[in-house]
Amino acid sequence: VSRRRSLPERAGERGVTLKLGRRSFADTDRLVMAIVNRTPDSFFDRGATYAADAAMERVHQVVAEGADLVDIGGVKAAPGDEVDVAEELRRTVPFVAEVRAAYPDLVISVDTWRHEVAAAVCDAGADVLNDAWGGYDERLAEVAASHGAALVCTHAGGVTPRTRPHRIGYGDVVADVIAVTTALAERAVSLGVSRDSVLIDPGHDFGKNTWHSLELTRRLGELAATGWPVLVSTSNKDFVGESLDLPVTERHNGTLATVAVCSWLGAQVYRVHAVRESRQVLDMVSTIRGHRIPARLQRGMA
Amino acid sequence: VLTGALVCPHPPLLLPGLTGATDLAPDLRAACLDGIRALAAARPDLLIVVGGAEQAGTWDAGLPRGAARFSAGRVPDRPAGGASAAGTGKAGGPVPGEGRVLPLSLAVGQELLDEAGWPGPRQLHSVAADTPPAGCFALGERLARSADRAALLVLGDGSARRGLKAPGYLDDRAFGYDERARRGLAGDLAALRSLDPELGRDLLAAGRAAWQVLAGAAAGGPPPHPVVRYEGDPFGVYYLVVSWEFRAATAH
Repeated sequence: VSRRRSLPERAGERGVTLKLGRRSFADTDRLVMAIVNRTPDSFFDRGATYAADAAMERVHQVVAEGADLVDIGGVKAAPGDEVDVAEELRRTVPFVAEVRAAYPDLVISVDTWRHEVAAAVCDAGADVLNDAWGGYDERLAEVAASHGAALVCTHAGGVTPRTRPHRIGYGDVVADVIAVTTALAERAVSLGVSRDSVLIDPGHDFGKNTWHSLELTRRLGELAATGWPVLVSTSNKDFVGESLDLPVTERHNGTLATVAVCSWLGAQVYRVHAVRESRQVLDMVSTIRGHRIPARLQRGMA
Repeated sequence: VLTGALVCPHPPLLLPGLTGATDLAPDLRAACLDGIRALAAARPDLLIVVGGAEQAGTWDAGLPRGAARFSAGRVPDRPAGGASAAGTGKAGGPVPGEGRVLPLSLAVGQELLDEAGWPGPRQLHSVAADTPPAGCFALGERLARSADRAALLVLGDGSARRGLKAPGYLDDRAFGYDERARRGLAGDLAALRSLDPELGRDLLAAGRAAWQVLAGAAAGGPPPHPVVRYEGDPFGVYYLVVSWEFRAATAH
């Protein structure tokens, strides 16, 4: 069956191009970032891909399922056993090199807040630094600049890495998220990170209760309107679980709902566990939106 | 006098972009384009395009094809095809941009002609789908007499009731009807003239009237030499692509 590449409807609200590693993306593209944990204790997979071979198997799988990026993490987000720099390096650096060797064009992100780790993984081939703890280590953005890496600027409510929110309140959580993330983004650019390689992440659950995360999701369009590409990380998180009163293992459908809504409102990158399903949801939303043409129409056309 | 004729179906899927990222019927499209090139090879002075529609009439070649009506406006028409469409609108015809669009059959014909790079002038005629056979024959005879060396492109397809998944569901009578049409278009003019309008309507056979215009146009002339370029019902609708060559005309 021949493919026709006609009618790419670039409604292009901004037409900005996002550059990650060797790849460029239009603002209407929707990217799946697959979570690959090299941790023994992350909340969802509970160590399933801690071993290097299991993690590599996960990479093969998510690439086959349509992931645009992988996000490699060596330290679980929640409190738990101490992971020092040396141990985080041991978990991430050789693995990044291995993934880079296997997939020269795959966009590789590493989830870390430590500049020492950031520098080492960039040297090993990482393209993106996912600073999920919101600029806790001020030197991380400098590393992104000096290594030509992209940077994710996250709102984490000013908390210390690996702590849970305790009685956190905001006058207007969306305003705070926009102020903090865009300031981090501008700072990164001023330090030399390429403007088209900076993303902002509202940081669902990070330094927030469920009301806050729901409000951010509801008003995600305000973040997109800043012009910075928005990354969302909602997969199986507590705000989904608390909304539905479901344990970690049963938050899949709720997660997909967040993906659909965020996509409609303009988020561009989706950090998820379930790649195939997220890809389908994003493709469907983009098709409804008119940013993607349907794959194959027959109904009524014969 | 006819230099040749070509019969093609006219499903919306032959208009570009309507089927999304996939061309559903590249082989059907290719057969139509080959047929058009064969028509052009006989060097006619004029191309007459005939297709079924709600009403009879002549149509300006510059009118939009109207892919928008099948796509909620999401698929634009291909820009009107260069010299061919822009330069050959009939003088005094309706002005494009007044909301008129070509009937589907003629729109598909125009699209195929553009894709094949048809260089010469075109005349577009519709025949009302409920026209009795005698009226179709008369129109055909008149069109054949209207030009010294004309080629005829006839847009028409068979029953849409050839299976449980067909647009019109299954009607067993569809097969006999389409077989009669196939024989007719393969050169049996009597079979072509005998296609029943009522049954054709019941079977959602959109091509009956246009096919019988062809029967009229060929009447009294040299016998056609048919080449069947495509036959099939991939979506439950019967499609035929057939070229007719006329020895007397091509021997010029």
